[in-house]
Amino acid sequence: MIVLDKVSKSFNGKWAVKELNLHVVKGEVFGLLGPNAAGKTTTIKMMTGLLRPTGGKILINGYDIVKEPIKAKSIFGYVPDKAFLYEKLKGREFLKFIASIHGIEKSTAINRIDELIGTFGIKEIEEELIESYSQGMRQRLLFLSALIHNPSVLFIDEPFVGLDPFGVMMLKDTIRRLSSTGVTIFLATHSLHIAEELCERAGLINRGSLTCIKNKEEIITEGGLERLFLKITS
Amino acid sequence: MKTTILLVIPKIKSIKNSINLKALLKRLPFIFIGLIFWLAFYIGCYEALNFIRSIEFFGEILSKKLLCMTFFSLSIFLVLSNIITALSSFYMSKEIPFLLSKPIKIKEIMRLKTVETILSSSWMVISFIPPFFIAYGISYDAPFRFYLVLMLVFIPFLLIAGGIGIAVAHLLTRIFSIKKIRLALLAAGLLLFLCLYLLVRSQWSISFESPERFINALLAVKTDSPLIPSFWITESVIPLLKRQTPDNLYPLLILSNGAFMLLLSGAIGKRLYLNNLERIQPSIKHQTKVSTEGFYPGSNLAFLWKDIKIFFRDAGQWSQLFIIFALILIYIYNFRTIPLKALSEISPFIKEFMVLINILMAGLVLSAVSARFLYASISLEGMAFWIIRTSPVTAKKLLWSKFLYGFIPVTVILLTLVFITNIAIGADSLLMLLSLVTMFIMCISISGLGAGTGAMYPKFRYENIASISTSPGGMLFMLFAFSVVLLTVSLEAWSFYPYKKAVISGLELSYAQIGQLVMAGILIIILNSLAFYIPMKMGKKRLEEDFSL
Repeated sequence: MIVLDKVSKSFNGKWAVKELNLHVVKGEVFGLLGPNAAGKTTTIKMMTGLLRPTGGKILINGYDIVKEPIKAKSIFGYVPDKAFLYEKLKGREFLKFIASIHGIEKSTAINRIDELIGTFGIKEIEEELIESYSQGMRQRLLFLSALIHNPSVLFIDEPFVGLDPFGVMMLKDTIRRLSSTGVTIFLATHSLHIAEELCERAGLINRGSLTCIKNKEEIITEGGLERLFLKITS
Repeated sequence: MKTTILLVIPKIKSIKNSINLKALLKRLPFIFIGLIFWLAFYIGCYEALNFIRSIEFFGEILSKKLLCMTFFSLSIFLVLSNIITALSSFYMSKEIPFLLSKPIKIKEIMRLKTVETILSSSWMVISFIPPFFIAYGISYDAPFRFYLVLMLVFIPFLLIAGGIGIAVAHLLTRIFSIKKIRLALLAAGLLLFLCLYLLVRSQWSISFESPERFINALLAVKTDSPLIPSFWITESVIPLLKRQTPDNLYPLLILSNGAFMLLLSGAIGKRLYLNNLERIQPSIKHQTKVSTEGFYPGSNLAFLWKDIKIFFRDAGQWSQLFIIFALILIYIYNFRTIPLKALSEISPFIKEFMVLINILMAGLVLSAVSARFLYASISLEGMAFWIIRTSPVTAKKLLWSKFLYGFIPVTVILLTLVFITNIAIGADSLLMLLSLVTMFIMCISISGLGAGTGAMYPKFRYENIASISTSPGGMLFMLFAFSVVLLTVSLEAWSFYPYKKAVISGLELSYAQIGQLVMAGILIIILNSLAFYIPMKMGKKRLEEDFSL
């Protein structure tokens, strides 16, 4: 469960996000949509502890990300929009590192890594240095690392960048499966058709303010996300 | 050419945008330190030159020889520097894929990279060498024409080195893989430097015995072949120092060769550059390797394990060890060649003095090594720092892990260094114990200072690792580290002197002297504790703040 209570963020006196209120329930797939520089990434960065809110409160499964960051971070996974990784580690080593910092015991970690590597189709390159991975393979590795500790909340920023059609399909299936097992998913994206397909609710953010939140039925009634998006941003 | 200028403009604008009053004020202390260095270098050169010129019969010959040798050394340094920089800017720069995707002719990209290579290889020489030439000019009371001609011939001199360096870089990339070339070059350059140093150092010790032998040895070094640019540039300016007219042939030779080398590097690049770029693209082997699971670090060793793995795989990180070991070798060699016996006749405290100097020098080496191992450690996380920030890891745990990552090797290196040099000096067991304990305390404090200040001023966006420790934060760390080392050694000297004096005279220590000893010990512990604690605390706080990643 994710709760945002009057969350704001300013940089040098300019508001990037203004008094954001949001409640995402357990197992829900929520999409945050908006034009460039609307505040999507800033919001997700605040939720994951990369930035501290100027005002307001963020709760991840009841844990305040500012006051109890370690507890909050141990239950969520994060996939950023840019895949900066440790280039000189091998894929499998990177996953072992992530499992270690989450305090997962060795045998559990190895089993989980093997399982996820199989699912995400990177078995062939797990012993290669990350520097040689393609954009799509990096994206898969990122997803895999975000899921290694069985998170109950998953934050995804622009999830389908660089993925091939097979990767997109696999990811969509994964998101649906995770959601059905009770994992709360928060995704920020430009891909309106994918958001329309996956999200149970979608929020539109523009110039740092959440302008509306619509559920699936409302989106269909109002002629789809694209129409809604253009209406709100124009 | 118009396109090349267009491509250069964004780079100039980037520099222009980064220069503002705030940035200038921030860099003011460094500008001041630079000016002091310039002044000290000028005075040193001027005095040395006057001394050389005053040597009977040989003075003027040696002065010309010194100028020629300087140009010769500069040309070697510049060629090596240009090769290494050309490999980075032509083949490893992040903007290459962007430039190649644009409707820009390949020759325009090569021109841009040539300008970039020559400028970044030469800026250090251009910044540091002027006091040397000014010293020559003032010592000879040279006319303005000397400075003017020097500037005019120095530019093509830089172009010759640049052209050779770029051409060699293209040829090397054609033969080897890019990472192996950089490493081989670094090793070769250091070996060359060490050989030159040991050669000069051995001749220096001869000079104590016989100045004539030293002069003869110096004159025997052949750097004045009429076929090399260092000779041409020397011959272009030397007559001007003496208010004579130089032979026009030499400036013309430099100018024509500068142009020729640039054209040559362009022709070689035209033939090899694109093919080389294709060859060095990282590729992946789609093979399922059956390997044993290997070590699993667990939560306590995760960072250490990751950092060590990356360190040994990243040539950019571990190749710097060559430089550190070269410094250490020179350091030990210097201590072995000190004429202690002769000096002990001058002062009975010479051994104690040398032990303190040894701690001081080792402290300075410690600061330099810590700048690499500790100050840079947080910045080396680079743009992947988001992984740590979004993980359930406290800033304290991260910082302590970085501290241990640097502290362990730094302490092993420095304690070994002090132990070996103390043996070379012939220090007794008390002096040995004192210096080892002092060094251990300083290893803790300087390591903490390095990890802490590195966290306070992280530089996650960097093109090369060396730029982390030469950043303003890195300079600040060095300044603090030097101060801690200097104060610790001064306090030690302050306490040790009355003790040794009492031992030599056979008298017991007075209460005041005992108080002085205790006070110095307490002050050393307080100073080093603060040097460790304050930066670590401030660094931890900074790591918990926002980062623009």
